[in-house]
Amino acid sequence: MDVTYTYPNGKTVLQDISFKVYEREFMSIVGPSGVGKSTLLRILGGFIKPTKGKVTLLGREVKSPTPLIALIHQSIVTFPWMTALDNVRLGVKWKNLPEDEEIKVARKYLDIVGLQDLADAYPKEMSGGMRQRIAIARALAAEPLVLLMDEPFSHLDELTAEGLRNEIYSILFSNVTTLKCVVLVSHNLTEVVKLSDKVIVLNGVPAKVVGEVNILIERPRNPRSEEFNKILDKIYEMLTPIRGGESAPII
Amino acid sequence: MLQLFESIIASTIVTMIRVFALILLSIISGWLLGYVAVKSKLFESIYITLTEIFESVPVFTFFPVALIFFVNGIGGYLGVELAADFLVFTAVVWNIWMGIYQAFKTIPKEMQEVIENYRFTFLNKMLKLYIPFSIPRIVANVYPSFASALFYITVSEVFSIGNTSFSLFGIGSEIYYFSVNNDIEGLTYSLITLTIFIILITYGIKRMEDWALSKYTVDTEYIIARRGKPRFRYTVIFNAIVNKVNPIQRIVKYRARRAPIIYERERGEGRKISIVGRVSLVLILFLIVYFTLISISFKDLIPYVLQTPFYIIGLGYDLVRIGVVMLFSTSISIFLGYLFATKLKKFERPFVFIIQVLASLPAPVYFPILYGILIHHLSFLGSLTPEFFVLMLAFLSTAWYVLYNYYIAVKSIPYEYWEIMDNFSMSLIKRLRLVVIPSTMPYLITGIISTVNGAWGGLILGEYWQNIYDSQTLQVTHGIMKYLDLAVNAGSIVEVSWISFVLSIFIAVYAILATKRGMDLARKRYTMEEGIFAA
Repeated sequence: MDVTYTYPNGKTVLQDISFKVYEREFMSIVGPSGVGKSTLLRILGGFIKPTKGKVTLLGREVKSPTPLIALIHQSIVTFPWMTALDNVRLGVKWKNLPEDEEIKVARKYLDIVGLQDLADAYPKEMSGGMRQRIAIARALAAEPLVLLMDEPFSHLDELTAEGLRNEIYSILFSNVTTLKCVVLVSHNLTEVVKLSDKVIVLNGVPAKVVGEVNILIERPRNPRSEEFNKILDKIYEMLTPIRGGESAPII
Repeated sequence: MLQLFESIIASTIVTMIRVFALILLSIISGWLLGYVAVKSKLFESIYITLTEIFESVPVFTFFPVALIFFVNGIGGYLGVELAADFLVFTAVVWNIWMGIYQAFKTIPKEMQEVIENYRFTFLNKMLKLYIPFSIPRIVANVYPSFASALFYITVSEVFSIGNTSFSLFGIGSEIYYFSVNNDIEGLTYSLITLTIFIILITYGIKRMEDWALSKYTVDTEYIIARRGKPRFRYTVIFNAIVNKVNPIQRIVKYRARRAPIIYERERGEGRKISIVGRVSLVLILFLIVYFTLISISFKDLIPYVLQTPFYIIGLGYDLVRIGVVMLFSTSISIFLGYLFATKLKKFERPFVFIIQVLASLPAPVYFPILYGILIHHLSFLGSLTPEFFVLMLAFLSTAWYVLYNYYIAVKSIPYEYWEIMDNFSMSLIKRLRLVVIPSTMPYLITGIISTVNGAWGGLILGEYWQNIYDSQTLQVTHGIMKYLDLAVNAGSIVEVSWISFVLSIFIAVYAILATKRGMDLARKRYTMEEGIFAA
């Protein structure tokens, strides 16, 4: 609510950002490069304290990182000295469960992301797509309420990314996970329209919310459909460069 | 008083000139050898493996043999000067050589093609490309070389073989004589002068690092540096200065273009290189033993050969001592390094500077004072008092390496790992056990190797130290370093040679088995950079 963030060098990057995310909602944040999307995501997760304003989760202020809000990074992060299973177990550690219980939970989430047969493999023996599945399973294993995804497909080749995109919605909102909502940051507008229920558009310096688009198209969504492209055009329009707080025409 | 000051300042300057002349010699020889190494595969194989192995061997343990060789063989002041210089040279040269070699190996192909295109002469190639490109890495290695050189120069400016004492003009010998004569005033002024010099030089080196980094580092160097077999010892030193700019930016930069294919190919080459190197090492050891033994009559040698089990027991004692020092310094470093890299960021810069100054301040010069202060308060330790002091000296000689390496490694942990640890609300112990220690393992192992090497230096000094304070002698009951000291004091060349031989066999095996295997394991399993996948 009314989140403002100023870097230590005095530059204000985000100003009075407000939005709400509801249960079973997949929300995306888009904006030009350097607008502060990743910073905003980290503010939502409690990794960065806003200069002004606050973030609340079910009415309680988020003051520091918590396993209830799990973050998935843009670069695919695994721990090379741990097997896939041990990587996922890391997400369960905060619960201080007995070891067999911890393994059971981790295996459950490896199953959800389709890596049940690779539990004992090390990340370096896996492709980028598989490693990102480990990272997703690790985040889900913490049994969070919110999942923050910072361009999670940007380091995958297009085919792998497309496959994972097609699966991700059903993985995240399967009845097995505890997730209530997802916040995605992405540059890829087709990906955003394909996955989201709502899109928040940031623009300007400092960045403000310049638009909110609700997407009510039925899933699975066809990127060639007229409706899909109409929404895409609408978001593109909101993303045109802003000078002095006003939208400037390209031509 | 003025005369005292003049003498102290002059001797400090002479010692510093010695140190920097030898560093300069290492740099010039490194340029030439490095150039030959990048041009000839065979030479590269031998040069690199031997350099790596020699660096992981505490050369100080062979010092007595070198002393006798130079002092007896060449003789006079020149022989004594060369003996001390040889010791310091072996302390500074390896990391500078490796730094230059790594710089030469990582020159971008495009730059090499430009100079080939214009058909530069050897001199022009060196002046226009190779030397400028190696400057950041040389500068990064000057500080550890300086610290290491000071440790050895101050103890090698005065030594005795049998009843004869040899000394060179320098701050090490000045301090020794002040200490022997209980001249507290002279000792205090010497220590203050030396500390001031060290602070100024450390500051100067830091300024030089900034200058070299801004002038000679190309944007892509860090990315290229990641290719091939990672050599953490040199990466640590290099990271220490590069990371000052912006650690996160740098990490992002290199992970953006990892090159796994090149990695694989060079690993195979590394194995071949290693075999040639090991064969060369065995040959060199054989030649050393051969020439040492033919210069000694077999009859004289037999009594000492029969004493071998006794020396091995002494070696066992020393290994326990080294184990204690290693464990203690590693445990302290793990918490202290973590604390300064994460919780006490405000004090980071002064912390690093203080660590560098402390590491450069040679323990042998201030240790007698510590001994004098503490000896009266430690009577409750009884017969363990000498052990305490020896362990303390070994610790002070060496603990900084592991602390500094570990601190740099903690600073290099990708920010994503920190975010995951925060995200899952991990406790300090879980952070250390699951993420921080495994992430820093290669750096930690490198630091431990340096610590172990430094500890040998501390032991050879501390296990038998005559006139350490107020005509007292510090000595332990058993220890191979003590036996070596006693043999040097007795002037027994045969015994010195035999003990050095026993020690060299152990150290060569240790260097090949423990050091190399430890590093290989760390490289194979604990490379944190491999945990960040980016297309």
